[in-house]
Amino acid sequence: MSHIHLPDGVLPIWLWGLGYIGAILIGTILFRLIKKEELTRRLPLLGMMAAAMVLGAAIEIVPIAYHVNLTVISGVLLGPSLIFLATFIVNVILALFGHGGITVIGLNTLILSIEGVLGYFLFRLFWKILKRLTPATFLATFIALLFSTFAMIGVVGLGASHYEELIHKEGNGIFEFHFLKGKEEHQSGEATEEKVNLRRFITIVLPLGFIGWLLEGVITTLIVRYIHRMRPDLLHLEKEAP
Amino acid sequence: MIQLPYLDYIALERKSFLHRLSPRFKIISMAFVLLGIVTLRNLPGFLLLYGILLALFFISRIPIRIFSLTFYPLIFAIIFIFISGFQIHFILLIFLKVLCGSTGVVLLLATTPYPSIFSALGKVLPSSFVTALFLTYRSIFILLDILEKTHYALYLRGGFQWRHPRRSLINISNAFGHLIIKGIDASEKMYESMVFRGFKNKIYYRGD
Repeated sequence: MSHIHLPDGVLPIWLWGLGYIGAILIGTILFRLIKKEELTRRLPLLGMMAAAMVLGAAIEIVPIAYHVNLTVISGVLLGPSLIFLATFIVNVILALFGHGGITVIGLNTLILSIEGVLGYFLFRLFWKILKRLTPATFLATFIALLFSTFAMIGVVGLGASHYEELIHKEGNGIFEFHFLKGKEEHQSGEATEEKVNLRRFITIVLPLGFIGWLLEGVITTLIVRYIHRMRPDLLHLEKEAP
Repeated sequence: MIQLPYLDYIALERKSFLHRLSPRFKIISMAFVLLGIVTLRNLPGFLLLYGILLALFFISRIPIRIFSLTFYPLIFAIIFIFISGFQIHFILLIFLKVLCGSTGVVLLLATTPYPSIFSALGKVLPSSFVTALFLTYRSIFILLDILEKTHYALYLRGGFQWRHPRRSLINISNAFGHLIIKGIDASEKMYESMVFRGFKNKIYYRGD
């Protein structure tokens, strides 16, 4: 829910172009910061966590069209640098395998990595403060998803003028096909009656998002508790243990 | 995602003219389809593009079962139509954009084996990124296998039932936790065997 499920060609080129530039820039900086041997050693783990995120995204909770992201748990296990690369890969695979939106991969990477990176730092912070796994994980996931959902709404909002253009000025693209022009003019006239309604979009997304944040928060908490029971070493909590 | 192994099988086993075309040519063609999706603004143009893609889909003799994959992204487009205030023209435009994109991508994946796509991408993208992409793809199969085995255990413990949400959430979370732990174990074994076979930081494909 907290990343953009938009098809190609809906967002303006400058917006998704900037998304790609931003994602590539951050990715390049992070690549330089990680030691090459460290990256090589952790690539299979990165691949496995990215695959888990892809599978999580493939399992749809039907009535509310929600799927778990598993970004926060992946962030906790991979760390802030590798989670960025993992979200990039997840978005590439999701774009290829069903969610669509190849042009929004950059933007989705930025939005999803907010979730992963923020989740990682909030989890550490709440663990230090609360010293209890359940509230630390739930709060970290809930807040991280809240931020990424608002980032998604912000990105959709930035494209508002472009949607208006799509609705009201159809046929002004680079390639025009005129054989149904008469019909289109009629539709264009009707279209001007109503404007782009972002408020309605937010009204739908936020309540659905809230259910999603709660669900993801509970699921992530239960997963972290399970991992803590079976393989506590994976969470790297020893240094910060109360 | 569950159809991924079948899609891979179709890409390798079928022998239509699209299967025989070079992967690089098909990736470039897909880029042109995307360019069309981004630049076209009217319905006739999209209908024409979608018609061409549909024709290619059926000429390539890709099973109809795969065709249903192209409709999946429509679920996500539904929420976006609320922005427009339910205007039919806009909704049709969005739906056709989705269908053109998904049909193009499914067409590419069902006619091109994955190693060929990664090999072509490896020429323009950083090797670590392409390696991570390949390992993720490989890991999906490993996790699907684990998930299939976990599925029976999950079923015996009650699976997912709307009548018992608490138990269902615990079951699903434990399944994901199990999947992650098993996945991490498998990734460690995979890394050991890759190093044993001489892996440094790049996977080489046939012809490299």
